[in-house]
Amino acid sequence: MAGEIFRNLLKDFRVELRSRFAVNLSISFAGTMTVSIGIVTSGVPLSPQIISLLLWMIFFFSAMNGLSHIFVREVDQGTFMFMNNKIGTDAVYLSKLIYNAVFFAVIQVFITPVFIFFLQVEVKCAAVFIATVFSGGLAISATSTFLAAMVSRAGGRGSLFTIMSFPILIPVLWAAINGTIRSLENRAACGLGNPFFLLAFSGMIAALSFLLFRHVWIEE
Amino acid sequence: MINIFRIVYILMPLTVVLAFQWAPGAEILGDTSRIIYFHVPAAWASVLSFLVAGTASIGYLFDDKKKRARLADVSHNSCIIGMVLIVLTTVTGSIWAKMSWGSFWNWDPRETSIVFLLLVYSAYFSLRSALGRKERGSRISSAYLVLAMFTVPFFVFMVPRIYPSLHPAPLINPEKKLFLDDKMRITLAFSLVSFTLLYFYILSLMNRISAIEARMVINRNEK
Repeated sequence: MAGEIFRNLLKDFRVELRSRFAVNLSISFAGTMTVSIGIVTSGVPLSPQIISLLLWMIFFFSAMNGLSHIFVREVDQGTFMFMNNKIGTDAVYLSKLIYNAVFFAVIQVFITPVFIFFLQVEVKCAAVFIATVFSGGLAISATSTFLAAMVSRAGGRGSLFTIMSFPILIPVLWAAINGTIRSLENRAACGLGNPFFLLAFSGMIAALSFLLFRHVWIEE
Repeated sequence: MINIFRIVYILMPLTVVLAFQWAPGAEILGDTSRIIYFHVPAAWASVLSFLVAGTASIGYLFDDKKKRARLADVSHNSCIIGMVLIVLTTVTGSIWAKMSWGSFWNWDPRETSIVFLLLVYSAYFSLRSALGRKERGSRISSAYLVLAMFTVPFFVFMVPRIYPSLHPAPLINPEKKLFLDDKMRITLAFSLVSFTLLYFYILSLMNRISAIEARMVINRNEK
């Protein structure tokens, strides 16, 4: 199975590098949002609560723009049937999950420094901040991957993906925003509780999705 | 089976009588507290209906011999009832909030978590209508219901206990006590049973209607 996952991952990265559609879309969206917020606030210092909320709203909508692409593309281009013949369902899910996790981590690596720079954010507890950002990103990727597979089967309707993802992602956004506030607010209150919750949530959703994926993806 | 649940025709009117005539009003809240006999059971029955929907979905998805196709209808019907009950919970909660706190909506953790549950399950109906009612649609929307079921404990049990809330101490509180007078306790228990049976009664009726509709489709196709 490892070979199948690797081959599919390689194919997905090659296709993405060729067009760079999803990565350009997500980064452009996040950049536009960050600069717009910076212009509107014009250097006025924002509270850690507002900063955290804005950062995760940008992450959330960037994910909505980019993460469904991986499955919608397979269905739109009609390649999913060939993929299903060549690769086992479990390998399909795991490769798409890894792809989305890496893809979103790349988006976060681009967005976060830009956001910190333009909004003049002072991070009090860098380790917890980084842990929260990446564990939150992983949780968003894990949840979105499975929901993207469902939406692609429903005709890839963009707004449906957002409607379905937002309520399921509320626990993730809640913990991620809380963890970010703590890392910005006070060094003493810094803790790894929120990143651990996010990792546990990612694990739970990934395990559930792994078990349910064949029911969503295989055409019977 | 359905005859057992018909007992709700006696239990529901009795619940109303007990709630308005027999149980006393609470010390500070007075007669407004009587809404507890409808608000709490509606919330309980809505959570129960979502759990039934999730469990029936698991049964449907992991039935490899496809002998339990009706479980997809059971989970869908349970979701419909759950949505109606959660709207009732929100409405009764809002009325109670207006009488107790002076405003219909306060963004209290309990109010907010119920709205999130509403969003989770309204997304299910959007997905279901996008997929249609064919076998594939049932499979995918059942998978969503399983995923949604695992978020319910977060909204119902975790959030209200983490954030400070104006909401009265819930039935399962840190002291593990029920802060109610004996008559109030009996009435609440009675109402919980009545609402549970009402939920199962309506579910059994809806399942029968779904079975009749499925039979009609088969008959039409045979002609």
